[in-house]
Amino acid sequence: MATITMQSFAETHEVSEPAIRRLVDDFYVKVRADPELGPVFDRAITGDWGPHLSTMRNFWSSVMLTSGRYKGNPVAVHRRVDGIELKLFERWLALFDETCRELFDDELAEAFHSKAGRIAESLKLAVFYRPDRPWPPSAT
Amino acid sequence: MTFVVTDNCIKCKYMDCVEVCPVDCFYEGENMLVIHPDECIDCGVCVPECPAEAIVPDTQGGLEKWLKLNAEFAQQWPNITVKREPPADAKEFDGVPEKLEKYFSPKPGEGD
Repeated sequence: MATITMQSFAETHEVSEPAIRRLVDDFYVKVRADPELGPVFDRAITGDWGPHLSTMRNFWSSVMLTSGRYKGNPVAVHRRVDGIELKLFERWLALFDETCRELFDDELAEAFHSKAGRIAESLKLAVFYRPDRPWPPSAT
Repeated sequence: MTFVVTDNCIKCKYMDCVEVCPVDCFYEGENMLVIHPDECIDCGVCVPECPAEAIVPDTQGGLEKWLKLNAEFAQQWPNITVKREPPADAKEFDGVPEKLEKYFSPKPGEGD
């Protein structure tokens, strides 16, 4: 009987390009199936998801491996997203963390989660913060 | 939240940070770089790249003048995303105190 071997990263502490590829692929499968995030992403990414997945691999490679592969302006991109809401950032982070914990050991999952949390916070501020209103907003 | 370039960048300007920044948020003065606070996404990738250890999180206390300086000059200086040769005397100025008062230049750098 043939044995199907799934590549697993759960035993490693090391970030690698293959690990990032797997994370991005698995994470966006969850995003697209998610009732809250799915419709927003589907409106923003019309047609082929290939370029977006490639962008996100480059982004996480730049952030976790200091590779300089991503060059872009995520603040401007997020400001343009139709239907973006504060609560969606929490949902995004929860799914991202869930995916990391499925694939990686605790230490590596925490490293990704910590970076994602910081970046999410600055994107939230960039998109939603207004100097004349309290932060964080009381109702989201 | 953002990161801030501080005193020890002045006259060192190694520029390693600009190569790794995913969002191209460094701006170049004649003898120092600054971070645009509205463009920085707080990823922290630049921090360990700086040989002068001049980049710090804005959550650290006592940074008011640096927050103001970064925000002000990021709007005036040109964007820099490609590293060039640092100043020939960069090493001699690494760690020299009070560089802001003695050496800071408000003039723009070359940019890309």
